[in-house]
Amino acid sequence: MPLPSKILPGFSAAMYAQPGASPTALTAAQLTTLASITAIAISGNLLNVEAVPAFGQDDAVASFTVAGSRQSDKIPSQAAPTSLTVTAAWNPSDTVITQVRTDAYSGITERTYIISATDGTGTIYYAFNGRVGEFKIDAQPGAEAKAVFTIHPRGNLYGWTNTA
Amino acid sequence: MATQQNPVQYANAIQYQLINIVTPVPVYANFNRNWATEPTFLTWQLRNVHQPVYTGQNQNNKGIDRPIFQISIFSQVMNTAFGLANTILQSLHGYSGLFGGASGFQISKADVMWLYNSYDNTLGLHQIFLDCTIDIPT
Repeated sequence: MPLPSKILPGFSAAMYAQPGASPTALTAAQLTTLASITAIAISGNLLNVEAVPAFGQDDAVASFTVAGSRQSDKIPSQAAPTSLTVTAAWNPSDTVITQVRTDAYSGITERTYIISATDGTGTIYYAFNGRVGEFKIDAQPGAEAKAVFTIHPRGNLYGWTNTA
Repeated sequence: MATQQNPVQYANAIQYQLINIVTPVPVYANFNRNWATEPTFLTWQLRNVHQPVYTGQNQNNKGIDRPIFQISIFSQVMNTAFGLANTILQSLHGYSGLFGGASGFQISKADVMWLYNSYDNTLGLHQIFLDCTIDIPT
């Protein structure tokens, strides 16, 4: 099963969270190892999110004045990993959501999260370690109640793998 | 995580609930309407059955259903039609709890919108149309 070789719909993305109250987050090496990732990316660890938000790395740039040049210079500088604000339909009995809630109250629980996207044949995984900041329930009438939480990834702890 | 719910249950519950509200006035699903012989009767039709679908490969990652059923009230007497509409409003609007009796399901809210009233000269029937949205937690 190769890397997907077509443009993927956003709909094909799914999100998983490492289980357990005190997980041992994967190391940087494990985050790029398919066997470590696929052990976590199973249906029991699925976060039932409404949509997977943007993930990756934020922009950071420094501008420099260059003497004698008409234009200045822009150099990418130390960039933060992108925080993910996730909206999930709130089922109070969902063990993965309640674990995220516990993490949010703790603030220091670090676990591995995985985002997968598939074309039906191959799957690509983006894995990262993060801690949960925000967690709130949006119970507006007129739709299902939503659990909104924010994952702040740790720096330099990410990995891309695929089912090659 | 919510599995796809069964519209057959919706239909059964709507029929049960409406009969209980307006008894002894007959209630029909739309295709049964019998304007030739009944001086006053109700029909209903169900629409907008839809659970929002969320991301991922899990088919059961869906939201709540908020289907709408239209209630059509027919009566030869305008006052009867309005009275019946009021009975439905009083009973159904804002209702939350068991919907459709013991074999029904829980709803979080029923929201009734009176659309309009009318008169059909050919049939000789006053008509009132109501939309009822029900929120069904999954």
